[in-house]
Amino acid sequence: MVCSVEGIGEKMKTSTDMISLFRVTLSRSLFHVSIITITLMILAPLLPTHVLSYMITISIFSIYAIGYDLLFGYTNQTSLGHSLFFGVGAYGFLLSVLHLKTDFWGSLAIGLFLSFILALIIGIISVRLSESYFVIVTAIFSNIFYSYALNATWLTGGSDGLSINVPTIYLGNISFSVYDPVINFYFNTIVLVFVYFLLKRIVDSPLGRVFIALGQNQERLTYLGYNIYRYKLLAFIISGVFTGLSGTLYCIRLRYASAEFFGIIWSILPIIWCLIGGRKTLLGPCIGVIIFTFFQFYISSLWTYYLIFFGLLIIILFRFSPIGIVGYINQRWGRQIHENSRNN
Amino acid sequence: MSDILSTMIFLLINGLVIGFIITLVALGLTLIFGVMRIVNMAHGDLYMMGAVISYFVLSFGGNFFISLFTAPILVFAISYLIERFVVRPFEGNPTNTMLVTLGLSFIIQQVTLITYGGVPRVIPEPWTLSFQMFGAQYSGYRLAVAIISATILSGLWSFLHRTTYGTFIRATIQDAEVACATGINTNRIFTFTFALGGTLAALGGVLAAPITQVFYLMGNNVILIAFIIVIVGGLGSFKGTLIIALLLSILEGTLTIFLRPVEVRIISLMVMVLTLLLRPSGLFGRRYR
Repeated sequence: MVCSVEGIGEKMKTSTDMISLFRVTLSRSLFHVSIITITLMILAPLLPTHVLSYMITISIFSIYAIGYDLLFGYTNQTSLGHSLFFGVGAYGFLLSVLHLKTDFWGSLAIGLFLSFILALIIGIISVRLSESYFVIVTAIFSNIFYSYALNATWLTGGSDGLSINVPTIYLGNISFSVYDPVINFYFNTIVLVFVYFLLKRIVDSPLGRVFIALGQNQERLTYLGYNIYRYKLLAFIISGVFTGLSGTLYCIRLRYASAEFFGIIWSILPIIWCLIGGRKTLLGPCIGVIIFTFFQFYISSLWTYYLIFFGLLIIILFRFSPIGIVGYINQRWGRQIHENSRNN
Repeated sequence: MSDILSTMIFLLINGLVIGFIITLVALGLTLIFGVMRIVNMAHGDLYMMGAVISYFVLSFGGNFFISLFTAPILVFAISYLIERFVVRPFEGNPTNTMLVTLGLSFIIQQVTLITYGGVPRVIPEPWTLSFQMFGAQYSGYRLAVAIISATILSGLWSFLHRTTYGTFIRATIQDAEVACATGINTNRIFTFTFALGGTLAALGGVLAAPITQVFYLMGNNVILIAFIIVIVGGLGSFKGTLIIALLLSILEGTLTIFLRPVEVRIISLMVMVLTLLLRPSGLFGRRYR
């Protein structure tokens, strides 16, 4: 860790400098993330199964969260329709395993393709609309599909759901099964890291700059000659596909999917994750997932009416903490870094 | 043949009656959007609250008319407080306001679940009167619902067009900044309109309580169709909301002969999608960007 910040390490004197060390390592999150991931992967066989299962859930939700953050954080579009892509990803996998008898990768591809198609259709309909319309229209879509999924028991199994045997994964000559928790953990972590780096790459590319500009001032972007609808649609589709991926992985992890995957709660959760961790920071939503999944786990076992807590949390977060944990760290200590670099 | 005809007429009138109730809910949404440019996601829960209050009034020995007055007054007060303390801090940021009201909707639903319980209950119709119409037996209460809602709607119209305060509200709808510059206290108008919209939803809830089941999630279904209506008719357009609410409810009512309710809802969704693709601002809407 020290070697990574060697450049400023020589100038460290006070404790505030230690904090800026922390902040710099955070900004070099790629390094940080890889260290944590590698450590976890080495430790994985030693961990008890319930911890592993918890971490698998976290990596799946993190994929959802960072995919959603691209839309919600960077381009500042609030979609309430992402539960749709989550459910479609899960059912795309499940149904193609059940009925088409495809192998693992084929089913995964079908799940992703279905969520891509849906994201494309709903995106074309909704990205041209104004802010309020966008929220309502996406919410209407997910709500109607939810009630359809609840009713169409012949296809989805309703709220009882359907369960499957996940096919063995073949990768070249190697074959492995997700029934082994350690293997499943490795699989999900690798996918998460891959998705994280992919999104990081997108955000840092010129395309990502356009997304950020889109979130800040759409009109100015129009005057600069960009076709904003195309970029909005692109962000919507990317985030929809990653949501579909996370739905597929969740289905693989539970070996089960039910109509509840389409429920409104799955559209609210990513908003809460992004707000806790910090919008516009890919790392933030992951931190939000870790904190909130813990919280949700304990609070839902303690109190039946924990949805009140959901509602309160949304109001409190929007009111008092719109930038989230990573946002606070950046705001509080980010400036000192700038001052340090200016003094040097 | 006459059997089918009488069924058709029955469903037509039924659609019209439910259409009037939904008009009340959707008009509240449109009114709030027109004045404040925000969408109240907890609107359906204010509707549910009206029905639940009506149930409580009846269980404490009151009658239908008492609930027709207490529920709107209580919901007026509640939505007044909601606007003042929850929505007001987010003024000027429609998306955040919507998400916050969505959070509020969770809270209202769960509080109702705790106090009222999760079992759907049926409220008896206040009158046992029924009419013989074209060979179909029709309950008198449902016709009364249509008459009461029409009275409320015309009362709302004359409030907006015949009183000073109504003129203030219409001025704020046209341009809030200019209205503020001419000396209208737009903040007070905002709060009042929000509460008025909530009251309309609650009135809808009270009227709907004897027709449908009173259930803590009953708002979700209504808010969905109200959203579709408001989008097809054009957010902020009263005329559009009224016409589309009646037309769409009659369409849904007639289609339930052939299809299941979910499939009917999907057809309404198709109507909404077509409208959005052909006329994004709604059939009667002005252009809001």
